[in-house]
Amino acid sequence: MFTTLPEAFKKFDLAVDVRALLLLQRAMDKGLVRTIGDLFNVLRTFIIKDPEHMGPYTKAFYAYFLDINIRPNDRLNDAILRSQTFEQWKETNFGRIEDDITPDEWVNRFLDQVHLTHYDIKEVLDGRELWDKDKGDLEDNPEGNKDEALNRPLDRMADYSDLTLEELMQRMEEVKEQQQSEHSGGSHWIGTGGISPYGHGGGAKDGIRVGGSGGGKMARKVLGDSNFFPVDLEAILNDNNIDAALASLKGIVEETAHEILDVKETIEKGLERGGLFIPEIKNETFDKLQVLLIIDNGGYSMHPYIKSVQTLFRKMKTRFAHDLETYYFHNTVYRQVFTDSQRRKSLPIERLLSKDPNYHVFFIGDAAMAPYELDRASLNTYSEIKEHFKKVAWLNPEPVRYWNGTLSTQIIKELLPMYPLTPKGIEQAVLEMNRKK
Amino acid sequence: MADTTFWDGSEQYLCDKELAQAFHIARTLGMPLLIEGEPGTGKTELPLQFAASQQTEMFVYPAGSKSTVEQFVAKFDHVKYLRDSQIEILNAQRNEKGLDTKLSTGGRDTENLSDYVAMGPAAKAFSTPNSVLLIDEIDKAPREFPNDLLYALSHRKFILPESGEVIETSEKDMPAIVITSNREQELPTAFKGRCIYHYIQFPDAEKMRLIVSKHHPQVSNKIVDASMDIFYQLRRIGLERSPTTRELLNWLRFIKTFTTQEALSKINSLDGLGTLIKTQADLERVQRQFGNASEQSFGTLN
Repeated sequence: MFTTLPEAFKKFDLAVDVRALLLLQRAMDKGLVRTIGDLFNVLRTFIIKDPEHMGPYTKAFYAYFLDINIRPNDRLNDAILRSQTFEQWKETNFGRIEDDITPDEWVNRFLDQVHLTHYDIKEVLDGRELWDKDKGDLEDNPEGNKDEALNRPLDRMADYSDLTLEELMQRMEEVKEQQQSEHSGGSHWIGTGGISPYGHGGGAKDGIRVGGSGGGKMARKVLGDSNFFPVDLEAILNDNNIDAALASLKGIVEETAHEILDVKETIEKGLERGGLFIPEIKNETFDKLQVLLIIDNGGYSMHPYIKSVQTLFRKMKTRFAHDLETYYFHNTVYRQVFTDSQRRKSLPIERLLSKDPNYHVFFIGDAAMAPYELDRASLNTYSEIKEHFKKVAWLNPEPVRYWNGTLSTQIIKELLPMYPLTPKGIEQAVLEMNRKK
Repeated sequence: MADTTFWDGSEQYLCDKELAQAFHIARTLGMPLLIEGEPGTGKTELPLQFAASQQTEMFVYPAGSKSTVEQFVAKFDHVKYLRDSQIEILNAQRNEKGLDTKLSTGGRDTENLSDYVAMGPAAKAFSTPNSVLLIDEIDKAPREFPNDLLYALSHRKFILPESGEVIETSEKDMPAIVITSNREQELPTAFKGRCIYHYIQFPDAEKMRLIVSKHHPQVSNKIVDASMDIFYQLRRIGLERSPTTRELLNWLRFIKTFTTQEALSKINSLDGLGTLIKTQADLERVQRQFGNASEQSFGTLN
């Protein structure tokens, strides 16, 4: 059954391979997995390798093991309340009793059980033993209660440690039924009912909240926090994914090297040779990055993107500290570009074309204009730029599906390689540029 | 038998439940625990406190931009080796000339290469059963460093190239390895794959209260409330460098030297702000937003 796990988790963009399954098997052999809460925590440490994975992982786990599907922008509560699993759980554990418990409180109880770990149970049992010892005379239900507490061995309740992976899922179903039959005075599977003498906030050591609510709280927090989801690489550049875009831009940094005497290596090698010193040479590398940024800052259509584009390249400049020149144009480039954003100081295109052909040239604009604006002069300019600078890319903030709706965009796209202004698009542009050495 | 009992903190240290579990999983499976999280969330504290409370030996390797596996595992002392072999020649020459006095090699024998191996923290930890090994801030190390560790981590074995020595440990005696990272650079996937991963969440108010009470048990609730209120406000306004647990604890250390009344007014006037805010831009921003008291101090300064 678990063989489908990697595939199921991959749908959530999580890299899960056989190794994770083998590790899980080992963890089960060592008795680390006894409750579904354990399973959640153990798998998490294997699968999550970045805080951004937490959101997808939580979703994948709920979908795979609990059959609870969390839709985008869904609250965890809603997803749980909607699910069959929750309905079944409620009925199995509490029958049809309708008391004045709010749905949210039901969900909390559910989450407490789902995320209850064997550490929690142990803590409670330890606490219970202590409690029984200390206040034996206060026991309100003398018959069997104490026995029950001590005999509530983990293995009868929810111990999966001696099971194979395949059996686990099946066992989980069985335990659910088992609970039903043993539903007497709080001997639940992993239920909070069974440990009610302490309840929340009471019996555990140090007054820490009993039960797995930590996990439930965590799951809820994770789903509501964009930090725990990967940045959408297909989204148009914005403040959130600017760092991802920056990471893809890094690819255009080139290295130059020159040779210097490696004093340390010379000494060390000399010592290894027993005192014969031969000069060792090493390459010292420098990053080299030359970028021309040509931005369309005219018209309202470009307005929303200018800020993020500039932030992106400013960050790039501070991060790599190299040649970065920014020019502006309105709608399309004729025989000049402008050096200021008000477009008052112009620079003839010939001057631009006299620059080192190794510059990476980025046009940023929506390439949308009236057909008559894109005249022969403008088209020639683009051809000349493409001829001179080998590495040219046009980044378009408009969604790709609209590109073919505009004639001018189609024409420019034929002339210059065009990519969407998204981290993914930038990455592609950079890859393509690097190919042209 | 390796210590694989569940450990969840000590008197001085409140170990997050999830972290405690991850640590337990790591030790039980004999894998290193990789902890990531914001600075000041107690990543380094875990192994320190664990070693202290279990009274086991602890080996620390602080990673830096010049870190190499050599430093981490073991270093062959070429200089000493050269010196000793020269001494041997010299002694032989002296002997020929009939001189009796000999130069000493300090008990080292050039035939025995392991005399010249200086063990690093990793080699020491691997040869001390059940010890604790901390690799601190591995994200500061060059990229090759984590990659070079891959073999050692998956085979629990180091090979010292010069002397051919093999330092090995069994799954049972495996030291508890904790690796911390501030995520300043992405670690290689292959490396992460060999670790148990845990990301420390920034503690919420409830947990923070517990942490504070562990560190400053004598501080009154009123003061803790007031200071935490300010603290979380400061975190919420999105500073360049948000204050962390460490800063709050430092601030309280300053605050608690006053009487309750004084302390409350100190808190409200953001006295000792320097412990919380670390950059000039942030300081200016806080002064703009929380205004009042800082302006007064401005007045007194001028």
